[in-house]
Amino acid sequence: MRAGGGGIVVRFTLNGREVEVTTRPNATLLDLLRNELKILSVRRGCETGECGMCTVLVDGLPVRSCLMLAPQVDGRSVTTVEGVGDPERLHPVQEAFVEAGAVQCGFCTPAMVLTAKALLDRDPNPDERTVKEAILGVLCRCTGYAKIVRAVRLAAERVAGGVRE
Amino acid sequence: MSSSSVLEEIRRAEEFLVVGKGVRRIDALDKVTGRARFTGDFVLKDALHVRLVKSPIPHGRIIEIDAERALSLGPVRFFTAADIPGENQVGYALPDQPLLPADKVRYVGEPVALVAAPDEDLAEKAAELVEVRYEELPAVFDPLEAMERSDVLVHEDRGTNIAEMTRVRKGNVERGFEESDVVVENTYRTGHQEHAPLETEGAVAIPDTQGGVTVIASIQYPHLCQRITARVLGLPHSMVRVVQPYVGGGFGGKDDMGPVVSAMAALVAFKTGKPAVLVYSRRDSFTSTCKRDPSVVRYKTGATRDGRLKAIEVQIILDSGAYANRGPYVLWRATMHAGGPYEVPNAKVDGFLVYTNKVFEGSFRGFGNPQVQFAAESQLDELAERLGMDPLEIRLKNLLRPGSRTITDQLLESSVGIYEAVKLLGEKTGFRAKWREYRRERAGRVRRGIGIACGYHGISTSRGVPDWSNATVILGRDGSVTVETGICEIGQGSWTAHAQIAAEVLGVPVERVKVVGGTSDAPDTGATHASRGSSIGGIGVYVAARRLRERLADAAARLLECDPSDVEIREGRAFRRDNPDDYVEWEELVQAAYGMGYEMSATGYFFLPKGKFDMERGLGYAYPAFSYIANVAEVEVDLETGKVRVVRVWPALAAGRILNPVLVEGQIEGAIAQGMGYALTEELKFEDGRILNPNFTDYLIPTSLDVPEVEEPIYVEDLYEYGPFGAKGVGEMALIPTPAAIMNAVKNATGVRITEIPATPEKVYFALRRAGVVAGE
Repeated sequence: MRAGGGGIVVRFTLNGREVEVTTRPNATLLDLLRNELKILSVRRGCETGECGMCTVLVDGLPVRSCLMLAPQVDGRSVTTVEGVGDPERLHPVQEAFVEAGAVQCGFCTPAMVLTAKALLDRDPNPDERTVKEAILGVLCRCTGYAKIVRAVRLAAERVAGGVRE
Repeated sequence: MSSSSVLEEIRRAEEFLVVGKGVRRIDALDKVTGRARFTGDFVLKDALHVRLVKSPIPHGRIIEIDAERALSLGPVRFFTAADIPGENQVGYALPDQPLLPADKVRYVGEPVALVAAPDEDLAEKAAELVEVRYEELPAVFDPLEAMERSDVLVHEDRGTNIAEMTRVRKGNVERGFEESDVVVENTYRTGHQEHAPLETEGAVAIPDTQGGVTVIASIQYPHLCQRITARVLGLPHSMVRVVQPYVGGGFGGKDDMGPVVSAMAALVAFKTGKPAVLVYSRRDSFTSTCKRDPSVVRYKTGATRDGRLKAIEVQIILDSGAYANRGPYVLWRATMHAGGPYEVPNAKVDGFLVYTNKVFEGSFRGFGNPQVQFAAESQLDELAERLGMDPLEIRLKNLLRPGSRTITDQLLESSVGIYEAVKLLGEKTGFRAKWREYRRERAGRVRRGIGIACGYHGISTSRGVPDWSNATVILGRDGSVTVETGICEIGQGSWTAHAQIAAEVLGVPVERVKVVGGTSDAPDTGATHASRGSSIGGIGVYVAARRLRERLADAAARLLECDPSDVEIREGRAFRRDNPDDYVEWEELVQAAYGMGYEMSATGYFFLPKGKFDMERGLGYAYPAFSYIANVAEVEVDLETGKVRVVRVWPALAAGRILNPVLVEGQIEGAIAQGMGYALTEELKFEDGRILNPNFTDYLIPTSLDVPEVEEPIYVEDLYEYGPFGAKGVGEMALIPTPAAIMNAVKNATGVRITEIPATPEKVYFALRRAGVVAGE
């Protein structure tokens, strides 16, 4: 990270690729990703850390990118849903979301998928309560969460071959 | 093709290949991979960012708007009512709402002016620096007070704060109450509800080379956005093109707000010649968009000793806020549904829509119906209590059945499945046994209770107002199928249902069908509201696809050298029914049909047959069909905190053919969560007309830990004659009875009737204390 010419240079890993970008020191990670890097799956829902729409993974953990300053990711690894899978190679969580009918309007879906992935990466066998606690920070106004929870457990089943009751 | 023959055919059909199956959403891949694009993603080069300048006072005259300091910041543009080239009017039911007010403001948060700049921060700063001088006027916030006052008028030219009055007069209520052995009377109150779509309202407008404008916006009805935007700009409709990208939730709010944000962004684009982006902040979304109308409902019910309903007398007061918007239609719907899905021989209903100096109200899932069903269904339990009956018994005695008449005296000949649905629901849940057990127990700090409530909801527009469907289906030379519709995809899955209908009728796999919807380039299909997206919207797809199917059968008959009636088309092949090995592939068939001169596109206009409605007495044909719902809710009430936890909900739905059970479950589960929020936690707090909690920390929508388990729904497929494959509407249904089901369960648990929602912990706690269930200080 170095300052220069009114901006600050930030180097980090974005979806497995090294990026170097000059940004304002007070830009949020959300601004950096959406406005400068055009990662549009990271969504603006409230900009006050309440809704979870802008969730990304920083070093594998869910972070609200509206609450993090861009320079704070210097030297770290950021994952957005683009880095999780694509239509030809869906991640098991994405596959499960499609199959379980966990998608409605789709606005919260990237945040939900990332949060679920982060959960399964550290706990491949979560019970229902654990799943609900993990996605607590991401609001959804369409689904009532039922099929999202089911999808996460379905993905766990597929990856780990079973879930606790 | 006559509609009765269509029905016959559907009834004869024993199995479908695509319809009725949990077909995967056609937009699922876009959404799970993050490729789906929403309005705010379309920021073009050179775009101007638009911000609102909002009124800080609830009521006052605009004396002067000074933008000098704002403009001195740099390349800032500024727009007021004076800049509007066309008509400054966005009112829906009444012409009472300016896009930007010229003379006075009527609520805190009302947009007074727009500021645009090439940079978001600059636009933000400039909006803050615009100085508006007001002469403050006395304001009125309580609808009961506003009704009586003529010295403080929200709209002076109307001479009263009452925006609309409605009525139903059926039979003779005086006699009905005389014949009643028991009469129950209560007053119920409901609060505001914010839609809280996770994508806020927004529009992007792009000037075109011919003097018109293209609008990409978060909407529920492209043709309405087109009409309103064209009116504001003073352009012919044809010069405004409206397209939806993906929409991040609507719930009714974007039906009303879509035209407003479209017109605002279009105004900036039209005046500057540059693309304009307007995306509401979460705060804007709370302060400056319509909400669900708060209500006061006074309800008197009479019944005989054996539990038969004899009469209802209902007064409904809806707080419309600063503008009427959809209020008159919301009020009519509330008025005509006031009896609940029951036979009531005598009914007197009076409705009042009242202006106040608060944010305006509008469309929200259920559209006036949740407010009255909360009252009607609470009343029924109170009545049962007085009669020594259980809640299931009194409902089964009075539910509508085929041949019943509604409170507007409309005869329901068919498609009335609520009786069967409630009967099945009672059995599945073991309702009676649980209800008796919980009532008997009532011990300990956490009390358990079970409650039931029903609802019904007229499909299509109210009171015989014309309604129609339309769609275009186009077969490409490669055999691909395109469905063009005005119906919007707002998360509910209507485009998937449309693809299923087209695939079923044409005989091709769903994957071949692409749906292009939510655009003014498609035929006007009416709005995506009133649970009509897949049901009414689907009719047009059905009719258009039928036309093509007949042409294809004709063409196939020529290829297969048989009679068209012997042709079967399914799973992408046309074959002779008597010899499936004699077939043509779909692509080949479509190409051959093109070569033979068949038109390979068709529209499917369908005008819904309706009857007459007498506005004076509020009697007659209210809706072409009703969908029905019943929910059983099981709750736990913590006596010490007053917190109500909804443990489990069992839904039962009678909405005709279930086109896609996965989509329908999604609608039910989402509606129950939203209804639970409405009933328990979602409370907008006002102080002198100002919203005190315009954020998700203080306005509580349900999280993953708050929602109940929702059991697999019971479906009673009471086919509707004109619906596609007999389908009726679903989207709004499960929200409607949810508040009453929860409050009936609270009563079962504690013996205390809660008459006001949201039933926040403090409200419940103090109600329990007043009733002596918990000790006071």
